[in-house]
Amino acid sequence: MPGSVLLWTRVTPTPESFPGSGAGPDVSVRWEISADQAFTKVAASGTASTGPARDHTVKVVAGRLLPATNYWYRFTLGQETSPVGRTRTAPAAGAAVDRLTFGVVSCANWQAGYFSSYRHLAARGDLDAVLHLGDYLYEYAPGDYQARDVVVRPHEPAVEMTRLEHYRRRHAQYKTDPDLQALHAAAPFIVTWDDHESANDAWQGGAENHTPGVEGAWSERFAAAHQAYAEWMPVRYEPGGQIYRRLEFGSLASLAMLDLRSYRDQQAASGADSSISSPARTITGTAQMDWLLGNLKSDGPQWKLVGNPVMIAPVRVPSTLSTAELAGVQKLMGGTSINGVPYNVDQWDGYEADRNRVVRHLRDNAVKDTVFLTGDIHSGWACDIPADPASYPATGDSVAAELVCTSVTSDNLDDILNVPPRTGSVGVENAIKAANPHVKYLDFDSHGFSVLEVTPAGVRMDWYVLAERTDPGSQATRSTSFQVQSTSGKVTRMQGGLQ
Amino acid sequence: MSRSATNRLTPGRRQFLQLAAAGGAAVVLSAAPGTTWAAPAAVRTRSYVLVVDGCRPDEITPALTPRLAALRAAGCNFPAARSLPIMETIPNHVMMMTGVRPDRSGVPANAIFDRAEGVVRDLDRSTDLHFPTLLERLHERGLTTGSVLSKKYLYGVFGARASYRWEPQPVLPVTGHAPDAATMDALLAMVSGPDPDFVFTNLGDIDRVGHSDLSGTTLRAARETALTDTDVQVGRFIDHLKSAGKWDSSVVMVLADHSMDWSVPSNVISIDLILQSRPELQSNVKIAQNGGADLLYWTGADADRAAGLAAVEQLVGAHEGVFSVNSPGDLRLGAEAGDLVAYCRAGWRFSDPYVASNPIPGNHGHPATEPIPFFVSGGSPLVAKSVVSSEAARTVDVAPTIGGIYGLKPPAGGYDGTARSSAFTG
Repeated sequence: MPGSVLLWTRVTPTPESFPGSGAGPDVSVRWEISADQAFTKVAASGTASTGPARDHTVKVVAGRLLPATNYWYRFTLGQETSPVGRTRTAPAAGAAVDRLTFGVVSCANWQAGYFSSYRHLAARGDLDAVLHLGDYLYEYAPGDYQARDVVVRPHEPAVEMTRLEHYRRRHAQYKTDPDLQALHAAAPFIVTWDDHESANDAWQGGAENHTPGVEGAWSERFAAAHQAYAEWMPVRYEPGGQIYRRLEFGSLASLAMLDLRSYRDQQAASGADSSISSPARTITGTAQMDWLLGNLKSDGPQWKLVGNPVMIAPVRVPSTLSTAELAGVQKLMGGTSINGVPYNVDQWDGYEADRNRVVRHLRDNAVKDTVFLTGDIHSGWACDIPADPASYPATGDSVAAELVCTSVTSDNLDDILNVPPRTGSVGVENAIKAANPHVKYLDFDSHGFSVLEVTPAGVRMDWYVLAERTDPGSQATRSTSFQVQSTSGKVTRMQGGLQ
Repeated sequence: MSRSATNRLTPGRRQFLQLAAAGGAAVVLSAAPGTTWAAPAAVRTRSYVLVVDGCRPDEITPALTPRLAALRAAGCNFPAARSLPIMETIPNHVMMMTGVRPDRSGVPANAIFDRAEGVVRDLDRSTDLHFPTLLERLHERGLTTGSVLSKKYLYGVFGARASYRWEPQPVLPVTGHAPDAATMDALLAMVSGPDPDFVFTNLGDIDRVGHSDLSGTTLRAARETALTDTDVQVGRFIDHLKSAGKWDSSVVMVLADHSMDWSVPSNVISIDLILQSRPELQSNVKIAQNGGADLLYWTGADADRAAGLAAVEQLVGAHEGVFSVNSPGDLRLGAEAGDLVAYCRAGWRFSDPYVASNPIPGNHGHPATEPIPFFVSGGSPLVAKSVVSSEAARTVDVAPTIGGIYGLKPPAGGYDGTARSSAFTG
């Protein structure tokens, strides 16, 4: 926000106050925020109460701050003072903004490797914020989902998280990662959840990875996941509220962060299921769709960024894949695929009526400069969003663009096919791009992160790939860059990179 | 172009000047009474507004329109720029020159139902425009202005407001406009001859070809040819300013009045046809068709107006191709726009009173045709170089922006538009 930021920490006032314990005293934590790193220019300070009811996490909204300004903050409990974190306020409403730079990440599976992506982003020092598009943590027990067949580091607790205690302890484990700590200390996070914050392929009434009865009622599990998320994440969300929300960055950009798990109908059985086009089924819910369309408007900030947990670009499975390749794609995307039909019904492809509403709205209102920023799919994509897929090959008409960051660590196609990177997947990528001409870039193999630069002239994403996700010191290199020039609605490959 | 053109001063209220254009053709300009033909000699800022009629912002590319793209890259670009209701030629040119919305200028659309005359007609008369324009307001301050407008109805509505005017010719019989090559001949003649401080120019080829391009829904072949040709004409203008030593004192604003949307033959809406099921409504509603927008006028008894319009709104709004039905007041269109304004969806068009009345695939007037190119460039040191602004520029911003160059005060009641000062240094 231009005048405030949300500060987060977690305290352990007594030995029994460990995460998920539900034990320990209520305490008051002092907080300070300063315009300088030495805390000689304290802009605001105060105390916040916490206790076992919220797992000793602390969330404070520090107000009366200046827009577009760097701040540093710290917490004190008794004689202990936290490390200093750096944050930044958003530009003032309507203010001219030359440039915004965001880190963009998703899909960080602790068991599949190390969070080197977070370390590299933290080292940049130029981020206005980090957009985390979901799958910040995973629900699986050790051995259930890792790096190919190798558990690089096991999850705690050593069970699939299904109860509040589990979710709290798993959040706590992830927060011990030094690279994640460094990134939280380097830049504010703007987050939304996808499915693994609760369970795989979650929908409002259940999840693929939820067994009613054995694992309790879905409503209770979903509520526990959300409570832990509210406690452990730096987000202005509390249980009973809504996490979808809109932020503004002067006249340059707005950012609508979506929740595509809490209101959606159950996924269709496959892409051949006629229900995928039923107007009665929704991925957003009616209220969120109305809200989203109301935010995608021609007045207001120039760029309409959408934090979109699952892909919106239509993707059809080509009929040229081998059975092994098809099986690999199916495993990566989840569910079953049939040649020539949508390959992933967990994405917007499985809720065509909702996608049509968005596309039609953008087209009828000629809303320009809309970019969907997406995670979930463990691969890097740059796509046009066709105004009409049937005529797109002839017209090239596109109503928006979609830029998809890859996974921080989670398995992707070469892992599933168990082949070296950039070997067996390349043919699949080429086949998908040939069958879907609006897909301009696809990397099914790499792990890493993206950097998004937003200027009045264009939006640009750089994809950085890790040398080895299982190496805690892995290097990262830029693999490619795509831009969306203002008013074009189209992605184009760029030469050169960000600094 | 020759500066030693023949000067045929005619005694009386109007003066005429015949200048030699490229290839030896003649360009005839007219001037306001008392206006000298001699170009001002003092050091000054020249400003030019070039309207690339009907151009979409994404159509200006280095490959297709290299001169326009280079001009845009060198100056200050406003990619969030949009046209204003009704997204038609005449109202948006009027908004550019007045700086006010149609409810103050009296010009909401190309075509209206004239209640006094009982006919649907174009707003192409000088008397239709009720608000002072930049053209005469600058003239009143001792500056000289020019209008070089390719379309007959634009020449009509702006009439004799500019210090120097060019009446479009030759006018093509179907399109009612002069080709861009001829329009550019006239602009170059005006710059070489009387050399006004400000010239307002409309280049109509892109729009006219866009309307009639039967490959418009897919190939847009003729459209792209028109874009290329218009780009050549803009290049001629820039080259001329440079060769004449006027570039360094010139501000060149380029924008469109609206963009263009293409429909397939089956996506046609006839409100007259919709109302056939309710003869009592059909007989009491007049329709002024504006491509992607229909203006509806209640002509029945006042006592039936509210219920009748509500029924019309419901019937029209239920059509799958209708995007919205609006109150003219909400769109700031004024009384001339009638009682209801219906917009079509992207890919559709209105055709009234008959389905065959509007056979052309390319249309505008509806929200899908709002985005426009809008940039300020030129060699003047006033122009901010290589800047892109997120500001939401609108056609109505032209008058305050150009007026600001000359220190022109806002008109009575103020501007509705905003001076885009970020396009300038200092």
